[in-house]
Amino acid sequence: MFRRTPSPLNRSSWRRTAPPAALLALVLAATACSPVQSNDAQTGGDQAGSSTQDVFGDAADPAQVKPGGTLTVALSADPDKLDPTLSRSLYSRYVFHTMCEKLYDLGPDAKIVPQLATALPTVAADGLSLTIPLREGVKFADGATMDSAAVKTSIERGLTLAGSGRKSELGPISAVETPDPKTVVIKLSKPFAPLTAALADRAGMVLSPAAVAKLGANFSTAPVCVGPFKFASRVAQNSIKVVKDPQYYDAAKVHLDAIEYRIITDSSIRSANLRSGDAQIADSLSTQDAPELQKDSSMSVLQSQSLGYQGLTVNVGNAEGIGKPVKQLDTPIAKDPRVRQALEASIDREALVKSIFNGLNTVACSPISPKSEFTSEAVQSCPAHDPAKAKELLGQAGVSTPYKVEMITSNNPDSLRLAQALQAMVKEGGFELVIKPVEYASLLDQQDRGDFELLQLGWSGRVDPDANIFNFVGSGGSQNVAGYNSPEVDKLLTDARQSQDKAERIKLYGDVVTKLQQDDPLIYLYRQRNLTGVSKKVLGVQTYPDGVIRTAFAGFAK
Amino acid sequence: MRRYLLGRLWQSAVTLLLATIVVFLGVRALPGDPALALAGEDRDPESLRAIREQYGLDDSLLVQFWQFVSHAVRGDLGTSIRTGESVTGMLRGALPVTLELSMLAIAVAGLVGVGAGVIAAVYRGRPAEWAANALALLGLSVPNFWLGLMAILYLSVAMGLFPASGFVPFFEDPIANLHHLVLPALILGTGLAAVIMRQTRSSMLDALSADYIRTAEAKGLPSSAVIGRHALRNSLIVVVTIVGLQLGALISGAVVTERIFALPGFGKLTVDAVFQRDYPVIQAVVLVTATAYIVINLLVDLLYSVIDPRIRVRGEA
Repeated sequence: MFRRTPSPLNRSSWRRTAPPAALLALVLAATACSPVQSNDAQTGGDQAGSSTQDVFGDAADPAQVKPGGTLTVALSADPDKLDPTLSRSLYSRYVFHTMCEKLYDLGPDAKIVPQLATALPTVAADGLSLTIPLREGVKFADGATMDSAAVKTSIERGLTLAGSGRKSELGPISAVETPDPKTVVIKLSKPFAPLTAALADRAGMVLSPAAVAKLGANFSTAPVCVGPFKFASRVAQNSIKVVKDPQYYDAAKVHLDAIEYRIITDSSIRSANLRSGDAQIADSLSTQDAPELQKDSSMSVLQSQSLGYQGLTVNVGNAEGIGKPVKQLDTPIAKDPRVRQALEASIDREALVKSIFNGLNTVACSPISPKSEFTSEAVQSCPAHDPAKAKELLGQAGVSTPYKVEMITSNNPDSLRLAQALQAMVKEGGFELVIKPVEYASLLDQQDRGDFELLQLGWSGRVDPDANIFNFVGSGGSQNVAGYNSPEVDKLLTDARQSQDKAERIKLYGDVVTKLQQDDPLIYLYRQRNLTGVSKKVLGVQTYPDGVIRTAFAGFAK
Repeated sequence: MRRYLLGRLWQSAVTLLLATIVVFLGVRALPGDPALALAGEDRDPESLRAIREQYGLDDSLLVQFWQFVSHAVRGDLGTSIRTGESVTGMLRGALPVTLELSMLAIAVAGLVGVGAGVIAAVYRGRPAEWAANALALLGLSVPNFWLGLMAILYLSVAMGLFPASGFVPFFEDPIANLHHLVLPALILGTGLAAVIMRQTRSSMLDALSADYIRTAEAKGLPSSAVIGRHALRNSLIVVVTIVGLQLGALISGAVVTERIFALPGFGKLTVDAVFQRDYPVIQAVVLVTATAYIVINLLVDLLYSVIDPRIRVRGEA
């Protein structure tokens, strides 16, 4: 559920260390890098394999579902504003998918499919214009008709509203044109490949212009969009209720009368609510609780591998705080990539995933998930676990062991368990890891101020790789809290962002990952598995790689 | 009396102002930044600037304080940074839940505590007293959250007797409302019941050895009347005082209980607001709590002189 970031050297220190680093990289490439084993587990067939396979759930068979009923979903966190333009929390997306449809959606295979659009956008040869055909006969929950003008209003609101969380996602849009009510043309000032993926998320939700005009920035108090359900009520910090919208264009497919989202932050209490029948769905199960529920014949556990990652960020150049010019920190781990490589080599990701997460999470060595369309051998290659090499690297760097590093981490039980396992693990490689647990809001503050040496946090992940990399390791990236600065990575990322050629993008991202594994500003550890508990009394609940639980077309079993 | 009253009102106003300043500075002294907490994953410098500007977080402390106080005196406690809802509305929704929960917890604690206390005193030195004492010790020692979890696991999950979470407003469906609150009230009342039991027991023991009880027994009154009408009634005065003193503990206990049972109360609102650095909400809950304490104290002081004329108010002695 958390987010975050990356890092290494500032420009001058990069030049200083580049030759040895490059040499080392060459050696590493020849000796130590091996492709990480398939995370799919389809190949496995062993015990661990069966528990790491994705289970997305199936669409409901209308013959087996009875109409009506209120579905209760136990949510692990309170969504923030129910305004697609202003919303920033992941959890608001769980609610939005029932009441605010998007131009595009994500399929179970992480591919983009049309939702309120009727086809994928037609991109002009120069990449500067996208034409989107719209579905016809679609009504907002307030009865108004959805057309290109509404899409224009929504996108422009994302670009201009104060506090908009969509502005950077929408990229360099210069104009939105509406040649006719069922066609939208988006003009760009420069090519921006990630736009279609952004339109498959909150940036692509279409808001009722009447509600926007009436409520303005207070749209979240009574949101109106197109969806199988419409907003009914919200009790602060406690629950959100949506009810069936009879005007929905595909209303026959909607079985439930209402869905109530109940906020229950403690994972064991969420599981208990699921088992007592007070909730039929519980999100973000702990890897400790999931195996128990998997054994329960009245429950199923949906699993999807996250598009994001969890990792360790090394503070290499974030001395003054984010947004300020990078300034090399004067510590061996910040100055010398060999020390960071040593840290990485001393971590046994396999063992970590097995022992801490019951084998439910998967190893990650790069920001790109093997489920992504942009995966390749290069992005899935993984530096081997080798404590002896770690010690050797530390020796080459002239660092005396045990080398003491202080790591801040969130103070929740899962993060602490992970930190303790890391602590024990890296000892063998010559590191003494000091754990400093910090409450989440303080952690965010410390990371932005650059007040840390090592930081454990993750990123929930987006469909387009750009959104999982650029901000975290690109210079000046808003989440580059490592203070990493590499002109080479910047160029690769910018080229990838502007290319319309998928094969070229895949190649470029492979190069980015190779370079990142040499510099190690961010040591990727594992990919979380989104675990959702579902009562078998409910059919048609699905979860996709974007982590959003789809409940809109679910129903109670007959 | 009027002079005294005016004096006390003035004192209360100053106390409230000081409390306001303390909470205002206190929340800002917390590490963490509401803009960051709100921005979460999707933050970029521009959004952070926009959030700070929108909520006046980049104004000087003096300006922010003036904004807060000038709006608060008009009954406007601002809007939640996180959800954009009116803080007054959030409080209006949360307060009745916590009040009802606390009342029920006191009722549970009173019934169980007084009952067990009387039994312990009357059957002194016998197994019934040991059992009651053991229960009281357990009630005091077992933390709320553990008891809550166990109650959910056994009474909700295994036996399906009570809902594990959720809340239905009383006026919507009184039966469902009570059904949802039984478990939380039991859990919240446990600690208080133990305190009441011990207090009842010791007061009852004092009372039972008093002369008037011997007289009552000598008159041939049935023991139920001696215990119920004479001993217990006299013991309850102290018990009531203790209950009053425990109200603070009850409210802090409600924070935990509300989180476990997902009740939309004041405690949950407070804790969540602190975690999310939702300044307007934290300020409002502390302000409301402080006002409640000040008003209650003022009323109690005034009541003393009404109830007992021997307690003279200052200036009239």
